[in-house]
Amino acid sequence: MSDGLSRRSFLKLAATASAAAAIPGCEPAARKLIPYVVPDENIVPGEPTFFATTCSECSAGCGIVARVMEGRVIKLEGNPADPISGGAICARGQAALQGLYNPDRLAKPMRRKPDGSLAAISWDEANREFNDKLAAAGKAGTGRVAFVGASMGPTLDAITLAWAKAFGSDRVGFWEAFSDEPARKAAEACFGKRDLPIYRLDQAETIISFDADFLGTWNSPVEFGRQFASFRAPKQRNGKLSIGNYAYVGPRMNTSAAKADEWVAANPGSEGAIAMAVLNVVVNQGWIAPNSGIDVSAVKAFVADYDPEKISAQTGVPAQTIQRIAAWFGQATEGAVALAGADDPLAHSAAYLLNAVTGNLGKTMVFLAETPPEANSRPEQIKAVIDAMRDGQVDVLVIAGGNPAYSMPPTYAFRDAVKRVGMVVWMGDAPDESAELANLLLPAHHPLESWRDTAPRAGIYGLGQPVMQPVFASRAVHDMLIESAHLAAGSAGQAIPFENAADAISASWSQLQGKIGASGTPKEFWDNARRTGGVFTEAKPAAVNVVSTVWKQKSQLPPVPAGLMLWAFPHAFLYDGRGANKSWLQETPEPVSQIVWDSWAEIHPDTASQLGIEANYEQTRLFAGLHVIEISTPNGPVELSVNISRLVRPGVIAVPFGQGHTAYGRYAKGIGVNPFAFLPEGLRSIAVSAKKTDKTHKLVTPLGKSDMMGRAIIESMSVEDLARGIEPQYGEEPIDQPYEMYPPIAYPGHKWGMTVDVNSCNGCSACVVACYAENNIQVVGKDNVNLGRIMSWIRVERYIPSLEEAGRGPLLQIAPVMCQQCDHAPCEPVCPVFASSHTREGLNAQIYNRCIGTRFCENNCPYKVRRFNWYDPEFPEPLNLQLNPDVTVRGAGVMEKCTFCIQRITSAEINARTENRAVMDGEIVPACAQACPARAITFGDINDPKSAMMKRRDDNKGRTYTMLPGYNALPAVTYLRDLYQEKGKA
Amino acid sequence: MVNRTLITLAVLLFVIGVYTVAVSERPWAPRSDVEQPIPFSHRIHAGVNKIPCQYCHEYARRSANAGVPPVERCVGCHGSGLLGGIKPVTQPWTDDKQPPFEIRWNRVYTLPDFVRFVHKPHIWAGVQCQECHGPVETMDRIVPVKEINMGFCVNCHEQRGATQECFVCHH
Repeated sequence: MSDGLSRRSFLKLAATASAAAAIPGCEPAARKLIPYVVPDENIVPGEPTFFATTCSECSAGCGIVARVMEGRVIKLEGNPADPISGGAICARGQAALQGLYNPDRLAKPMRRKPDGSLAAISWDEANREFNDKLAAAGKAGTGRVAFVGASMGPTLDAITLAWAKAFGSDRVGFWEAFSDEPARKAAEACFGKRDLPIYRLDQAETIISFDADFLGTWNSPVEFGRQFASFRAPKQRNGKLSIGNYAYVGPRMNTSAAKADEWVAANPGSEGAIAMAVLNVVVNQGWIAPNSGIDVSAVKAFVADYDPEKISAQTGVPAQTIQRIAAWFGQATEGAVALAGADDPLAHSAAYLLNAVTGNLGKTMVFLAETPPEANSRPEQIKAVIDAMRDGQVDVLVIAGGNPAYSMPPTYAFRDAVKRVGMVVWMGDAPDESAELANLLLPAHHPLESWRDTAPRAGIYGLGQPVMQPVFASRAVHDMLIESAHLAAGSAGQAIPFENAADAISASWSQLQGKIGASGTPKEFWDNARRTGGVFTEAKPAAVNVVSTVWKQKSQLPPVPAGLMLWAFPHAFLYDGRGANKSWLQETPEPVSQIVWDSWAEIHPDTASQLGIEANYEQTRLFAGLHVIEISTPNGPVELSVNISRLVRPGVIAVPFGQGHTAYGRYAKGIGVNPFAFLPEGLRSIAVSAKKTDKTHKLVTPLGKSDMMGRAIIESMSVEDLARGIEPQYGEEPIDQPYEMYPPIAYPGHKWGMTVDVNSCNGCSACVVACYAENNIQVVGKDNVNLGRIMSWIRVERYIPSLEEAGRGPLLQIAPVMCQQCDHAPCEPVCPVFASSHTREGLNAQIYNRCIGTRFCENNCPYKVRRFNWYDPEFPEPLNLQLNPDVTVRGAGVMEKCTFCIQRITSAEINARTENRAVMDGEIVPACAQACPARAITFGDINDPKSAMMKRRDDNKGRTYTMLPGYNALPAVTYLRDLYQEKGKA
Repeated sequence: MVNRTLITLAVLLFVIGVYTVAVSERPWAPRSDVEQPIPFSHRIHAGVNKIPCQYCHEYARRSANAGVPPVERCVGCHGSGLLGGIKPVTQPWTDDKQPPFEIRWNRVYTLPDFVRFVHKPHIWAGVQCQECHGPVETMDRIVPVKEINMGFCVNCHEQRGATQECFVCHH
């Protein structure tokens, strides 16, 4: 439909089979057919090939599967064989594709000229310069070469260390902005084991999270999403139907807190004290596990300072609340688990000890034997490297990943230290703030283009393999390091026995086979690992006990906060800023605030009125914030637009991490504020003062009103009512009798439908980004979102219940909304050209080439799921290479909408027909259902009562509802109501 | 007077419309003027030597694309000394910029981007290649016999009782 980025131009590029060379389009697209010279017998042009690899977007180490069409990866899915991802993938993982095909990736090696501008140089020249400078530094003495960057897996990290050693240096720092240092420190203090436990939330009856955003950004969100859905599913516990008890302690309601029974709005820094108070109650009530071997009197002395009443006075959290959640925890017969993600070290210790004293150590929280070594360097190691740089002891610094110039605390003074280094070499994909400091910029492979391995925990060995040829003329970081050691470090460098990174990976995997005693020939082992994405074994738990010395440690009570606190939190999608150059992640609304393309200051209405801002943006329905406040920070004042919301503790200014880039490409640059720039080391909060300014800056949201107005959009019911069989009443006008003008439509074959469990959905928005990737949906940018032109086919809708409602029911109402594929679709009869039509399998088809853009259908859709193309889409090269060739790229003037992934349906139907069988249940999985970590979405055939989708409806009778039933649109999507516990009982 | 203006305007618009349709390039229409870089003859291969279509277009039954035979497939027969070796096969005829071993065929049949055509189900339903592509086995140079437009597709679907759902091809 639109030239230049069509399916055809994709195929044309693909058909060349010469992946590195992009052909400029100077002739009509696809007028050439260029066959393989020698075909790969495993590749059928037009059919996808799948490669198992690992995700590198965070340290969780999920296994993923890349869907590759003619040499281009077009979609990432979870790897079902991997016990961490379990076949699901989060929003950030999906968006790795936009890192790979980022239009701002460095295409050629660059050298910085004296005037600061960059000049492209050849690889030969770049390698020569790199090696010469390294050789000189190696000869000049020990420790004159340094590396600061992200950990890239055990094997490659070992090479980095060997490389530095070859040049006589041990100055290597593996930097991660959100490090696990507090958790490891606390584990060492409590259990004498500097290690991270794994959690089994699904085996708990109570969860208390001390600001661990485990469904969004903490630890392993995909795995926790799955476990939490299982924990929260109604099941018989202690003889009654229960959804478990869950409390969240933290300053802001994030998606994790939204699902809680109790959100304890704590001040930043007070989570530890509250955790200790909970421990106090647990201990004093005698809820210590009988055979835990804990010295009760020592524990009592340890927590004596943390009487709930006293802590209540200190933190402003009611003592009854502390007692209530402590009772949930202590009285849980089927296991309980406390998690800690706050920057407060005390919170981590207290959470570990809570698990230990209640006998949950080894059950819901397990330390594994033979855990892999720590990936990240300790802060003191990093600081030592930077100090050496500052003292002029380093001649060559290599920065690869981690973007230290952006994410290091100001006390490290990384930028100043870099100025004293003779030669700064940056290796990476999209040039970021750290690249701005470099003299030599070398384009490095994206993780999806390179070999690596991961060791997220004991027993799991992930193998990352390249899933396609490099998009640009880049090289693997460790190929460059190995080569430079061989060429420039003399005999010490020759000691690295590998030719390149791929060699190193395969060598360490042949060692692994011996270590784990796997059967088969080395080749079988290696081939199998490449096929399944690694080796996944069951690790043995380690015998761990509380060290008695921990009870003697004294901690200080948190100060009573006097003024405003700025508290920064990891953005659900941008995380520590690495997601900011991916337009899908910028455009997907942050699930709770629903703000896109911005950073903001989230403040409570009370705080707002203290600052003299009396605005009710709810009434405008147009934006999420307007008034700018000036916040004083140690790094000078910053200005942020306020988002006034009850979902943050009064007195706290919540600001997301992730924005405020001064480089890092067109999508990231020049948006918002970077809190790393002024936060102290290891802390996410700081006392500030703020004042109102006269400036305005619009915070944009695609959401209209945050109030359901009593309508049946996202329904919820209490688990007690579910047990009693009472259905909730919503303010929809009941239909006396179905009003039918025509006989019902017959669906002789399949009739596709969906069941969506709102209780499982935690708003992580993996479905939204998956849909962008699968269906070639265009990103429209902030201004167009403000005009209501966001194109996402599925959205995570969130409503904020009134205080009175929240006191009774769920704290936040979140559910995915896609096209409901109605039987009586209001969109269909209004289309003058039958572009919107009904299929025999129950779908509301949208035929793009018929559509003339009247937008009548959009107006008539009660679910507001139809999207109009106001402009031709733009996919700046090479982002166009990601486009799914099975889906039309829609041009301007055309309406589009969710199709239930019709391309996957027809493909499965064609396969079934050619194999002379019926389509099997589960054979068709739309992109949203496939991505969902919580497995909230099930797709299937309504005409087949045995399908998993229909069974899910049957198994949850009493919970099913359809959205806005008053329209009698008869949607094919059935929702299962969100569940809550009746309040006012322990 | 008003009528006359209107009629003139209408006639003018009609003429412009007809002209636009007449001269507009429909990039997806099959083209009969396409010359190939090498003098490959379907008549000799499929007609005289009776090589089955899918021996070379091997993906037709497995994929959306029928596939153009890889050069290796040509060499499979032509590679022996008896038949003259590889050189004549990939010797460029009309295109002297062609890299060695790479045949840059010119496309005869294309479809617009909003149509998703998949060869696979058609082959499995027993549709002969000739039903759409004409008597290829008689052609030295491929020229389209039929214009592949929606009417053509729908006619056949109607006769064979195949699906007439818009959504199956247009998505």
